Amino acid sequence: MLLGIDVGGTHTDAVIIDHEGVVATAKVETDHNDLIASLDAVLEKILQSEPKRPIRKVNLSTTLTTNAIVEKELEEVGVLAVSGPGLAPAHFNQDLGQNFYLFAGSIDHRGALQQPLDKAATTQAINDCQTKKIKVFAVVSKFSTRNPEIEEAMAELVFEQSDFTTIGHRLSGHLNFPRRLATAYYNAAVWRRYNVFADAVGQSIRKHHLDAPLSILKADGGTIDFKNSRNHPIQTILSGPAASVMGIIALSSITEDAIILDIGGTTTDIAIFADGTPLLEKNGVSFGGRATSVRAINTNSIGVGGDSAITISSAGEIRVGPKRMGPPLALAGPQPTLIDVCNVKGLSALGDCRKSLIGLKALADKYGITIENITENALETALETIHGEALKLLEEINQRPVYTVAEVVHGAAIKPQKLYIMGGPAAILAPLLGRKFALPTEVPDNFAVANAIGTALTRTTMEIELFADTGKKLMFIPNLGIRKTIDNSYSLSQAQTYCINELVKYLNENGHPEITAADVSVVEAETFNMVDDYSAGSKSIRVSCQIRPGLETEYLQGIK
Amino acid sequence: MKSLNHLGVIFFPAYDWAISPTHPEREERLLYTQDQLREEGVFDLANITEYKPDIATYADIERTHFCFPGPEVVTTESHLVAAGGAIKAARLVMEKEVDKAFALVRPPGHHAMKVVHGNRGFCNINNEAILVEFLREHYGIQKIAIVDTDCHHGDGTQDIYWHDPDVLFISLHQDGRTLYPGTGFSDELGGPTARGRTINIPLPPYTADEGFLYVIDNLVLPILDDFKPELIINSAGQDNHYGDPITNMNFSAQGYAVLNRKLNPDIAVLEGGYSIHGALPYINLGIVLAMAGLDFSHVREPDYHPESLRQSPQISEYIKKLCALTMQNYRKPPPLNVKPNQYDTRSRSIYYDTDGINDLQVEQIMVCPSCSGVRHLTSKTRSHASCMGIEIPIDACPRCRDEGYRLLHAGRSNFRGKTIKFINRRDKEYLTLNEFELTPMGRYFF
Repeated sequence: MLLGIDVGGTHTDAVIIDHEGVVATAKVETDHNDLIASLDAVLEKILQSEPKRPIRKVNLSTTLTTNAIVEKELEEVGVLAVSGPGLAPAHFNQDLGQNFYLFAGSIDHRGALQQPLDKAATTQAINDCQTKKIKVFAVVSKFSTRNPEIEEAMAELVFEQSDFTTIGHRLSGHLNFPRRLATAYYNAAVWRRYNVFADAVGQSIRKHHLDAPLSILKADGGTIDFKNSRNHPIQTILSGPAASVMGIIALSSITEDAIILDIGGTTTDIAIFADGTPLLEKNGVSFGGRATSVRAINTNSIGVGGDSAITISSAGEIRVGPKRMGPPLALAGPQPTLIDVCNVKGLSALGDCRKSLIGLKALADKYGITIENITENALETALETIHGEALKLLEEINQRPVYTVAEVVHGAAIKPQKLYIMGGPAAILAPLLGRKFALPTEVPDNFAVANAIGTALTRTTMEIELFADTGKKLMFIPNLGIRKTIDNSYSLSQAQTYCINELVKYLNENGHPEITAADVSVVEAETFNMVDDYSAGSKSIRVSCQIRPGLETEYLQGIK
Repeated sequence: MKSLNHLGVIFFPAYDWAISPTHPEREERLLYTQDQLREEGVFDLANITEYKPDIATYADIERTHFCFPGPEVVTTESHLVAAGGAIKAARLVMEKEVDKAFALVRPPGHHAMKVVHGNRGFCNINNEAILVEFLREHYGIQKIAIVDTDCHHGDGTQDIYWHDPDVLFISLHQDGRTLYPGTGFSDELGGPTARGRTINIPLPPYTADEGFLYVIDNLVLPILDDFKPELIINSAGQDNHYGDPITNMNFSAQGYAVLNRKLNPDIAVLEGGYSIHGALPYINLGIVLAMAGLDFSHVREPDYHPESLRQSPQISEYIKKLCALTMQNYRKPPPLNVKPNQYDTRSRSIYYDTDGINDLQVEQIMVCPSCSGVRHLTSKTRSHASCMGIEIPIDACPRCRDEGYRLLHAGRSNFRGKTIKFINRRDKEYLTLNEFELTPMGRYFF
């Protein structure tokens, strides 16, 4: 049996799933200031109802790091950076705190050390941090995913001083120095808070006699093993929306290009699927005002939901949202909402429909217009906003630059075939949205706990990159810190096989013995002939492979 | 502090296209440029956006070139995408989606002439000219300046606009006595109806930053001030770099960035540049930052030593004189010995180095006092017996328009060649007549 716990913004949900489907659910309110109490409470509740059979795996989704970043509960970080020539250094200190230090040194795009690290300046900066009692650090250099030696040199110098150091190239193999900086900074800044939380999670899990392996949800619709998450807490941001998306995959059978709408009280989250797989952000997610390299499902959140307040502007324009002022009038709320509109139009009968009618009538009279005018316009505005934003996201994805003739000329655009809708008002709005999008719609059952189901069923994900230069006879996998010499006959297929094997090996040794090469897909495999001053025989090889976001398939039958 | 521009970058490296595996025009060419731009996080900057190229249509090409036997034969999909990248740049700027645009695309185009039989100088179709004709067709732009800063003379662009007084073409390049294509001398000043609208500045080998920037300050900018184009396009070749393997100049990434800031083009289109590790990543970063109005003072090649790249006093002196002479040629071009209202004829042999084609071309231009003049040419290669091109220019007077149709009808009746291409830019009529449709007897008009 699998146990999934989603510590969300409002509620903490838990489900237990076996081959027959969902066998138990539990819901408690989330105590924002004491997430562990919420976790304890929900565990208490769900294990009471299902105490007998053994739990094979526990997955946890938590808002801890997300909240820490949003609420700026960040520890002071010593950011030690080396940029070298290129963009002006002023671009790189993106408000990464008071303790941002830039040193001389440079690595070029091929990974050649062009200027060694200024160790004296680095040491001085570290001493400065010591007087400021800074205990966590981020060390980042430009092109460290080609050659880590400057980052390693900085990490060595700071080792004695630090409780924890985030080393840039271990976060992601992608090229993007500013994202690497921001991600390393965040990772160090939330590390202590996350680990205090993780200690408490460990205690709570033991207290409830759960000895199954524990994994933590990530933003890309996958999990990271609990032990590893302690060094990569940044990976756990934005796991909530990812859990919902994975939930809808579990509840429906999405195999085609599709649009997913999760309509909540305040917002609607839009996600796009290609061939049944959720699309990820191209370079990583932007969060807390900074672009990061954290892999995340590409979702767009817009301010239209069931509880969106209906207002009329001074120009007479009828607006839906973006604010939620409370529940609908029908449920004793303070102001008419989209749900009240649906009640009046006879699309729903939630709560006291009379209250909806009275409230909207009052609004209409105030502005001297008819109630039909308001309801008609409000509904159309809501549908049009959702439709427009979904198409915008789709267009953005279809307009992503590609770099080969074949892809430009023959690349297939994503053409959604179906609309999947979940959330409170899903059933009410589905027929109308279907007409608006001119697509068949599906509203899965059980969507109230879709997030917890998604959490329970989600499997691990990971992406690694390999970069080889047969001229320099070097091969490097930044995320895993593997750097080896190769001979100049090293080929793309060798690189690909090696990359896949190393990913499998790493995961096998880190809490995921079930992963095999069959689970790995190759994202990119390219080789370029290099013509140098003295030879024309060397190659630049780039491979990237991943475990895609996926679900525990053996449990899916029961769920559906 | 300079104000920021919103810059659109159309980055298209054509990772699946090469002339041959070790040819300078190979898949790897823009790989390190992309690595550099990505690592700097350039596309995350608020005022820089990356765009996907359009795909140019055959109509876009046939509005610009005489392709024999047709565009589908002389181009591949990669050429359509590169030209489409230039078109996208034009659209972004004209639709005011961005302030400026840089089409960082390959394959290049500035050696492609009016007539296209295949690939010469790594180019098949002229990306800048296709862009210019697109602007004229869809946005009614009239006066345009193209400044070609590739190390090789932009002979293709020169040929296309040789007779066009509304397109000012300025080429800075290494002296034709020392480099392909061996043309672009100071006395090449445009045809009889567009004298002084082609300006060539052949620079001596080992010209450095100082020399290039002297030419920009003392010649190019004053000429642009005088011409007052609606739009400036930079043919941004990057092979003047000191590290380039196929040229002999001493220009640097800093120099290119400063040049771009001074020139302030609306659109830049990549041309050549083959120092793909040591120069391109830095030059392209410099140009991107300069166009976006950002600080580029920290862009520097790892092996940049300005003191060892200084140009000699003799070179400085030579360039000074060259600029003075060229300015005089622009202001008061020496007149040609032509008679008004009659055809002026050029006979040329054009060699396609990449494809090994030799084109024997006879071109006639009507020396018209009231328009650019109708253009009529015949072109002969070993594989294509004989071809004819007729072009009625966009500003054609009624007489030259009628003359164009007279030539078409005469060609239909009498031409014993393979293909006739007819371009009427004035009324947007474009025709291709093939061998089997031509009748030497003149009986089967259609």
